[in-house]
Amino acid sequence: MLKMQNIRKSYRTDTIETHALRDFSLEVNEGEFVSVTGPSGSGKTTFLNIAGLLETPTGGEYLLDGQEIGGLSDRDRSRMRNEKIGFIFQGFNLIPDLNLFDNIDVPLRYRGFNTKERRRRIEKSLEQVGLSARAKHLPAQLSGGQQQRVAIARALAGEPRFLLADEPTGNLDSLMARQVMELLEFINEWGTTIIMVTHDPDLARRAQRNIQIVDGQVSDLRQSIAQEEIATV
Amino acid sequence: MIGYYISLAMRSLRGTPILSALMIAAIAVGVGASMTVLTLNYMMSQNALAHKDDVLYAVQLDSWDPNGAYNRGGRGNEMPWQLTYRDAEALLRSDIPTRQVAMHRFGFTVTLEDSEVRPFVAETRVTTRDFFSMFDVPMLYGNIWNEDADTSPVQTVVLNKALNEKLFGGEDSVGKTVELNGEPFTVAGVIDYWNPSPKVYDLNNNPFSDSEEIYIPFGLHRKFQIYSWGNTNGWNSPDPEVEGYEGHLLSESVWIQFWVELDNDTRKKEYENLLTGYIQQQKEQGRFQRPLKFGLTRPSEWLVLNEVLHDDNRVLGWASLAFLLVCVVNAVALLLAKFLRKAPEAGVRRALGANRNAIFIQHLIESSCIGVLGGLIGICFALLGLSGIRMLSMGQIDQIASMDWLMMLAAIGLAILASLLAGLYPAWRISRTNPSIYLKTQ
Ligand SMILES: Nc1ncnc2c1ncn2[C@@H]1O[C@H](COP(=O)(O)OP(=O)(O)O)[C@@H](O)[C@H]1O
Ligand SMILES: [Mg+2]
Repeated sequence: MLKMQNIRKSYRTDTIETHALRDFSLEVNEGEFVSVTGPSGSGKTTFLNIAGLLETPTGGEYLLDGQEIGGLSDRDRSRMRNEKIGFIFQGFNLIPDLNLFDNIDVPLRYRGFNTKERRRRIEKSLEQVGLSARAKHLPAQLSGGQQQRVAIARALAGEPRFLLADEPTGNLDSLMARQVMELLEFINEWGTTIIMVTHDPDLARRAQRNIQIVDGQVSDLRQSIAQEEIATV
Repeated sequence: MIGYYISLAMRSLRGTPILSALMIAAIAVGVGASMTVLTLNYMMSQNALAHKDDVLYAVQLDSWDPNGAYNRGGRGNEMPWQLTYRDAEALLRSDIPTRQVAMHRFGFTVTLEDSEVRPFVAETRVTTRDFFSMFDVPMLYGNIWNEDADTSPVQTVVLNKALNEKLFGGEDSVGKTVELNGEPFTVAGVIDYWNPSPKVYDLNNNPFSDSEEIYIPFGLHRKFQIYSWGNTNGWNSPDPEVEGYEGHLLSESVWIQFWVELDNDTRKKEYENLLTGYIQQQKEQGRFQRPLKFGLTRPSEWLVLNEVLHDDNRVLGWASLAFLLVCVVNAVALLLAKFLRKAPEAGVRRALGANRNAIFIQHLIESSCIGVLGGLIGICFALLGLSGIRMLSMGQIDQIASMDWLMMLAAIGLAILASLLAGLYPAWRISRTNPSIYLKTQ
């Protein structure tokens, strides 16, 4: 499903060069629920952005759904992102002056669905996250947990094969975090592959697989299990 | 998708009302100012005779002073703009032109017997009959006088629509009598509304004044001792042996405007030969002591030669466009500020599948919406500006200080162009920005 081989990503500013990812290799299979942990600044977000085609790696090979990403144009990458990938961010990133309905509408517009199909999908995904009654509300009128559920609905409306979540519970209290997590697990059961970055070891442990990124590299799997155990104790 | 972008644009404009108002005002002020000036220039450059541009010619003969060329404040081609009466009379005898007109401005005191209307002075054109067909003057009632009236005194008159309304309440007045300078004239016809501006056929005084109210035949000069109410220019004193009015008609004073219609190049050649022959013959008689020179000028060139549109107006036109550019630059700064503030939203849209073009077009459409609104308000500004100019000019240029549909469309076009120009760079910036920057900073 997703295969990265020796991915490198470095950022160059006037004075320094930061290696956000080095020799990064990873394989994720269809239907997996992978959690990603690691210290702040270790390259987790960079990894998600490259996986989600928002950034291009400086080097290495990336295959998504069997397709080599390297040579694709902005247009093709954007279409792939639109059709195959759903994003969920820590800060929800809803568009503040659009109501919930219109927020969920955004990816469907770029998909080119007709009005009827868009309406059907918007209503269905709002129902999935339990916010059908709030379609005409603005994001600011909702709690954090509700906003994140809207963001999930927006990511789901396009029926992506692949959901990327960057600390989706980072801004939520533990009760709301658990609700969001349950929602993600439910989505995963229906076949969507999920990669979720989190700081919360409890949530990380609930995933089928946990990888840890340290200093821009996937650290040894055994080590990550060991760390996890330490965290649990 | 365009509809979606437009609705997003309107929502975005409403979201920042003050900033939007500033941007719309910047475009509106720029468009308003430049459209005021450009409309004046455009209306001043109208050529009512454009459709006859390849057959009509204004005739000039260099009958001027052997000691110095004709000079009208540096304008023109160093030939008198008008002909002497005797030259006009001589040229009228030619049958080469399909039509030919000799004419000038005059004024008559009009009285109507048994009428409430008090005597008044009416703007008059003394002309040969081809005037009406040559310049496409539309007839409302009756007809033009007969050909013999061009050479012998026949007291007949053609009225314009407004005067016919004033004198006869607008009814068919053909055959009725009006008194001009105390003499009875029979109404031969009434013309419909006709008011070309600028008055290509006579650019001597104010090219933007209204057309005349009364038209009388050219054959009446001697009987009424008609002088020009327009320009008369001379360079020597009349022959002392010929006295009075006849002396004026035989003098070297120029005061008759002369136009010919020549259907093709052969005719034109023939006419040129005629003029050459005429000047040579006159030279033998001691006139035309300057180098042989005459002019046959098309209406469009006649307007340029007469500098109806002054260089000042052209400069003002460019200055107004430069002002619009300043407004556009201001709008660029405001748009850039606005778009960059909304950059995170563009980042989210990119993450959700919008490609760069989609973001670019979305923002370009937002700036076009500003352009359309700015254009509409700009038209209002221009209309205000033009009505201000009309007030200042006291009715001198009423006709040109008004916008036609073409100019309104041009205003909208200019506004959209200006706003597209203003939006191009900000939209490009925002569409090229890497979305991950906005998504990472959480
Ligand atoms: N756009 C950027 N420009 C420069 N440095 C960056 C940029 N994005 C990330 N980095 C650097 O790359 C490293 C990894 O960042 P990130 O992937 O955001 O880490 P994490 O999400 O694990 O906290 C950090 O050192 C960060 O400062
Ligand atoms: Mg991060």
